[in-house]
Parts: sequence; structure tokens; C-alpha cells
Amino acid sequence: MRRNAISWWLQRITGALLVVLLAAHFWVEHFMSAELRRGDLSFEAIHSRIANPVWQFIDIAFLLVALWHGLNGLRNIVLDYSRVGRRAAQAVTLALIAAGAVWAWWGISAFRNL
Amino acid sequence: MAVPQGEETYRIRIARSAANGIGRGVQEFEVALEDRMTVLDALFRIQREQDASLSFRCACRVGMCGTCAMSVDGVPRLACKTGVRTLDARTVHIAPLPNLPVVKDLVISLEPFFDQWKRVQPKFRPRDPNSTELARIPETSAHARNTPGKRDCITCGACFAACGVKSTSGEYLGPAAINKAYLRLMDPRDTAVDARLAVLDDERAGVWRCHTQFNCTAVCPKSISLTDSIARLKRAMLFPRFEKL
Amino acid sequence: MSAFAVQARKYRRQFSGMTAYFIQRTTGLVLLVYLFLHVHTIRELAGGPAAFNAALARFHSPLFKLLEIALFGTVILHALNGVRITLLDLGAAQGSQRRLFWALAIGLGGVIFLAGAIPLFLNAVLRS
Repeated sequence: MRRNAISWWLQRITGALLVVLLAAHFWVEHFMSAELRRGDLSFEAIHSRIANPVWQFIDIAFLLVALWHGLNGLRNIVLDYSRVGRRAAQAVTLALIAAGAVWAWWGISAFRNL
Repeated sequence: MAVPQGEETYRIRIARSAANGIGRGVQEFEVALEDRMTVLDALFRIQREQDASLSFRCACRVGMCGTCAMSVDGVPRLACKTGVRTLDARTVHIAPLPNLPVVKDLVISLEPFFDQWKRVQPKFRPRDPNSTELARIPETSAHARNTPGKRDCITCGACFAACGVKSTSGEYLGPAAINKAYLRLMDPRDTAVDARLAVLDDERAGVWRCHTQFNCTAVCPKSISLTDSIARLKRAMLFPRFEKL
Repeated sequence: MSAFAVQARKYRRQFSGMTAYFIQRTTGLVLLVYLFLHVHTIRELAGGPAAFNAALARFHSPLFKLLEIALFGTVILHALNGVRITLLDLGAAQGSQRRLFWALAIGLGGVIFLAGAIPLFLNAVLRS
């Protein structure tokens, strides 16, 4: 009885987490320093933060949570259409997991060369 | 038929079809408003005085049987409980319940509804069918506390017709079936827990397809909080535990 | 008439739960698309200061400033309606789901949106 229930709870838990993470992200990117408050978004303005592995970890965690929430949401949209058969739905799930993995790697590798 | 001067006239636009729902079209009738006229009254007027071929179902005429459920101005309602004067305009749109196969005119087949109904094993399943003992349900039990407003389902199909998920998913159980399952699971005398949980947990058919649109709760003629029943089951599914006698 | 027509009809007030559902799905998809574009842009960091700043320069145009404000609104709607859904799922306020929608997603959402959108807008206008 568990897997779907866990997924359902996680969608809400990740949602709640995202509200907090997003608010924090917004503050960090637009209000944390004088430059940012002016709207001077540039490599220099964010470099010191973005090169720090702790901040990278937080940003990556944020991305992974967002990806899980968003792709699980997409999955649910597909499941709502009985026109999509069970086999096809399983294929969609696998495709979304693969897309998620690629997308996550795509995001994580943004911090290379810093 | 000429309408006498000074009477309020309503234009009733009815979505009609020949047998099996082919040849759909809208036909318009004019009906003079009578005192306390319901949509069902208007339909009878039309059938008796203007077009005897108009098909619709009804039985009790007092909101108890659920037979006359149909779409009135886009909303699934009981025709016998909908006062014509309470509607927003002088033009009324009547159509058969959506999400169900049309037999003819306003008559639909409830077969898909009852197919889903049967999937949750709606029959009561006691531990010992031959027992002669009286089963006492404590007032403090979940059954006594959480089900009073949920037992009045008349299987009219309005919730099934209104559900946005039902419009895209033939597999989804629908609110009425899930509510029925909820009632049985809450009943401490009933023992068919696993079979019901299996279908309720199904990825395509079960409670997880509900997205709290609340259409069902809004249209239920018995004011059952269907979304609430479904939500309670969703919460219970993680660690399902239903008190049993 | 389909169930979608049900929602679109004059009984819209009764069916705000359905409106909320559409908003949640639509904003969710929009945000997924945005996430894709956002990661794409952030990857320019690896190209060094010149490449990154050049990529950001694209976003100074008025169109992008407007899109930014629209994004802000989208996030607010999705987040606050999501909070509403979570509250309902936890069993709170099942009887007042419509009021919750209007108060939270639209009311509070409107306030937060204006609090953010107006400075964003003024900033864009002043700097252009």
C-alpha cells in the first residue's frame, strides 16, 4: 500500500520545501548584497557565493527537489489520461526518470570550472 | 402551442439524440412558467404537449431516487429538485449527464458508474455471515464519528458526471465508489479490507487520481463531502489501519 | 456538455476548485519550462565572466522584464494554491475550500505579487 502513498506525501513535502527554498533563493540572488539589490546581476556579483561548495550543495539540492516535484507532477498529468495505456504509462515513468537524471546532471555540471 | 400573454416564458434548449446517442442536436422549446415548476415539470410539459418523443428518466420526483440526474446549464443536478425560477436566465440548457454513454436524449447508461461501484466491493462483508450475535459499534468508533454525513448516496451519478478526472480517465473509480469504499472500511464489522485497499491504491483507478477539484462535492444532491472522504483515504493509505470488531 | 464546460459556465463561483486545479497544472508546466531555461542559462557560468555576463545581457530588454514579472506571478499562484491543496489534503478547511482559494491564492497572492512586481517593474523602467 505504500509506493503511491509515499509519492503523494512527497509531492506535498517537496512542495513545502520548495516554498522555503525558493524564497531563500530569491533573497540570496536579489537582496543579499548591495550589488544584487541594485539589480546588477553579473558573474562578479555572484562568483564568491557560487564558487563556495556549501552554496553549490544547497543549489543542487534545490534543483533536485524541484525536479522531483515537477517531473512527478508531469507524471500525474499523464496518469490522468486513460487513453495512455498501462504499458505506455510505465514507459513515460521511465522516460521521466531518465530525463530527470540527465537534467540533474546538466544542472550539477553548471558548477564545473568555478 | 400559443403562450398566453403576461406569463413568463422560458426557452428550454435540450440536447437531443436518436438511439445510442447518434444524430445529436439541440432542440428548443418554449414553456410557460408555472408555480413552483421544476425542470422535471417542464420536461413533462414538453413531452405531453409538444413532443412525445422526448426521452428522459425519473421515478420518485422528490429527490430521493437519483434517477432524474441531468446537466442543467452545464451543472449535473436532479431535475426534480431544480426550480426553473432559480436558474440564472430565461434560457435553460439541458443535456444528458456527461462522462456517461447516451442512450437517447437525456437518458444515459449508468453502466460505467456501476462498473466502478462494483470494483470496491460495495457489499457488506462480515467476519461470520452466519453469526446471530448483535455487533455493537461504539459511539466513539471512527464509523460513528466520521460517517454520518456520508451515508446518503443515492447513486445518481452527478459526481461521476461532474468529475474533471472522469472526463479523461475511464479507469478512475470516481467519487461515489470511493465514498462507498470509505464507508465499508470505516465499518468495524466489515472485513474485506485488503481487496478494497488494493483497488483504492491503484495508480490509474484509485484515490490518487483525485486532484481536489471539488466538483463532486459541489454537485452532490445529498451534500456529501465526497472530496473529504477521498482525502481521508489518501491519508490512511500510508499506514492503513481500520478498526475491526 | 463536458465536465470542462461545467467549469466554464456561469456557475464559476461554485467551481473555483476546478479553476484552482487548472491554475495549478498550467503554472506547474510553465515553471517546468522555466526551470529548463534557467538551468540552461546558469550553465553559462562555466564559460567564465564574459560568456555569463553576455548571456545575462539578453535579460535586460523590456520584454524580459515583463516576463520576469509574469514568472513571479506564476510562482506565487502555484505556491499559494499548493499550500491550499496541502492544507485541504491534511484535512484542514475542507468546508471552506473556496474561501481558502480566494483568500490565499488570490488575496494574499495578489498582495505578495504587487509587493514584488511593482519594485521589479519600477526597477526595469528606471534602468532602461
